[in-house]
Amino acid sequence: MSSVLCPDIPNSGFSFDNCARNATLEGKGFPVPKATKTGTTIAGIIYEDGVILGADTRATEDTTVSDKNCRKIHYLASNMYCCGAGTAADTEMTTNMIASQLELHRLFTNRTVPVCTANQLLKQYLFRYQGYIGAALVLGGVDNTGPHLYSIYPHGSTDKLPYTTMGSGSLAAMAVFESRWKPGLTEEEGKKLVRDAIAAGIFNDLGSGSNVDLCVIRKGSVEYLRTYEEANKKGKRQSSYRYPPGTTAILSTKTANIEVHDVSIQRIDTDLLMDTTS
Amino acid sequence: MSILSYNGSAMVAMKGKNCVAIATDKRFGIQAQTISMDFPKVFQMGPHLFIGLPGLATDTQTVMEKLRFRKNLYELKENRHITPTVFASLVSNMLYEKRFGPFFVEPVIAGLDSKTGEPFVCNMDLIGCPNAPEDFVVGGTASAQLYGMCESLWEPDLGPDDLFETISQALINAFDRDAISGWGATVYIIEKDKITTKELKTRMD
Amino acid sequence: MATERYSFSLTTFSPSGKLVQIEYALAAVAAGAPSVGIKASNGVVIATENKHKSILYDEHSVNKVEMITSHIGMVYSGMGPDYRLLVKQARKMAQQYFLVYKEPIPTVQLVQRVAAVMQEYTQSGGVRPFGVSLLICGWDNNRPYLFQCDPSGAYFAWKATAMGKNFINGKTFLEKRYSEDLELDDAVHTAILTLKESFEGQMTADNIEVGICDQTGFKRLDPSNVKDYLANIP
Repeated sequence: MSSVLCPDIPNSGFSFDNCARNATLEGKGFPVPKATKTGTTIAGIIYEDGVILGADTRATEDTTVSDKNCRKIHYLASNMYCCGAGTAADTEMTTNMIASQLELHRLFTNRTVPVCTANQLLKQYLFRYQGYIGAALVLGGVDNTGPHLYSIYPHGSTDKLPYTTMGSGSLAAMAVFESRWKPGLTEEEGKKLVRDAIAAGIFNDLGSGSNVDLCVIRKGSVEYLRTYEEANKKGKRQSSYRYPPGTTAILSTKTANIEVHDVSIQRIDTDLLMDTTS
Repeated sequence: MSILSYNGSAMVAMKGKNCVAIATDKRFGIQAQTISMDFPKVFQMGPHLFIGLPGLATDTQTVMEKLRFRKNLYELKENRHITPTVFASLVSNMLYEKRFGPFFVEPVIAGLDSKTGEPFVCNMDLIGCPNAPEDFVVGGTASAQLYGMCESLWEPDLGPDDLFETISQALINAFDRDAISGWGATVYIIEKDKITTKELKTRMD
Repeated sequence: MATERYSFSLTTFSPSGKLVQIEYALAAVAAGAPSVGIKASNGVVIATENKHKSILYDEHSVNKVEMITSHIGMVYSGMGPDYRLLVKQARKMAQQYFLVYKEPIPTVQLVQRVAAVMQEYTQSGGVRPFGVSLLICGWDNNRPYLFQCDPSGAYFAWKATAMGKNFINGKTFLEKRYSEDLELDDAVHTAILTLKESFEGQMTADNIEVGICDQTGFKRLDPSNVKDYLANIP
């Protein structure tokens, strides 16, 4: 749509402007640095009334923990959520974009969007980028045909399963599911099972850590339990390392006062005539 | 070697009680050779909004100009100042657009919401994954040292004066253990009614 | 667009300086079904006639009042097919804005962008102007907004207005009825009365459509809700 006349909607899609330069730098021995990974344990199960999704909250840059409490269960639609593992920016941006498309689809079709639609949109998008968009997802939701749970791999393949795990802690979490999942779990049993699976990832996988987030999706209602459990409580600090004022040597100080003013409101001239050509 | 440590930088932003602070070193070098000791890496983007762009110096400047362009366009179009959260999301989007050929900067954003006065700090990786915690964010080549300093020095509800001492000591002691950052430091304390800029006396080696 | 050989713009100035294509577009609007919009102190209402030519028509399956985002709604006078294209564009622009800024699009911004699209169709090659005028209502900044967008790309902010067939009578009626401290419920009532001014035949919940927008967001009223309002009308 964007044209010469109306350029304020910028071109969509990725820009490859810097690729040539970055490739040259790589040739000179400066490889492209690693982006933040979620190095994650994410999991989901189907229980008697719907779907329960779970995730840990650690984000890592190489071996450094860059976020101790990050949000890995992303909103897709009012009946659908999606856990993301892999490159943090990719999971975040991909789910945001698909959420946007799902909302447009909902307005267009005037109905609750089925979970299989979200699955299809995600897998087609990821397949198009041949795995270069590093998003491994667990998609869960409830629609008119009941609860559904999918796992979606970065290359665009998907599985429809009653219980699934993803990310670096997926083996630890799957061990819990394989031994204890059964059809028709109650909500309490389900929450306990997902919590235990995520906790297994938190304690046994170095890429996963901090807290347990859960999201319970039932028909017609969602319960997002952000920090369902703090798996690792930080100890209370015994003393304060506060420096007395004046410790730091200052060369110069400059103070700029800000006049707090109200937000201005744009008034638009109303032309009482409906004829706009005069 | 990583291209992010080609020029060297150290940056940190912290939340306080009704205030935020952002601090940066001033060195610009080419690997081990120091070129300048007064190199700006933190830029003001609004009355209560600052962004720091540690990383490759050429991208620091390019990204700053691109952001200023987009921010100015937003403010002209909408006739209002940009809020820190909206600005962070703008930065994140601009960096992610270059997902497959990124700019080598890891932004640090600090600001107060102009309406609510709520403190906001946020950092990102080079492809724009936002991280907005409740305490502090760091960036640059001394980030490992800064994480350690901040984890032990930061405490909740620091007033502007205490926040200044905390952030300054965290930064100075972190970059003293990093060979390619330091050489002077600037601290910005952002409060509802004023911005205080302090130049720090540091080791020059 | 401009690559095709005969794709010059159809909208060209007449010697007197008029763009007659735009005047024709406005004529198409003025011949279209009437719609009204009224801003109240605690919300805004838009309403339109949705009359069916035959009793065989399946009502409530095609709507004229449409949601753009959770806090913005739209209605039109003029040509239905043209309207649907604008609705699609408006929704897409609203989502695009949200993706970039993580903040719902302010109504003013949406109106400006929709108007830019309409303007583009008065100056591009191989296209004709839209045969619709839009009423866009929204709630943000803790206050209601009501805008009209014309085929020329001009837009106006209104307290209350009418468009389409008999819009002059509608506006005269509103000028008499409007007051600043109107409540939303009264505004809905007034909007229906304005439609009734020029309504031919019996007005029912099946042949008008009403949308309201307040701090809880935009919604199209159910026929049962509309019926309740109609019950209070003499």
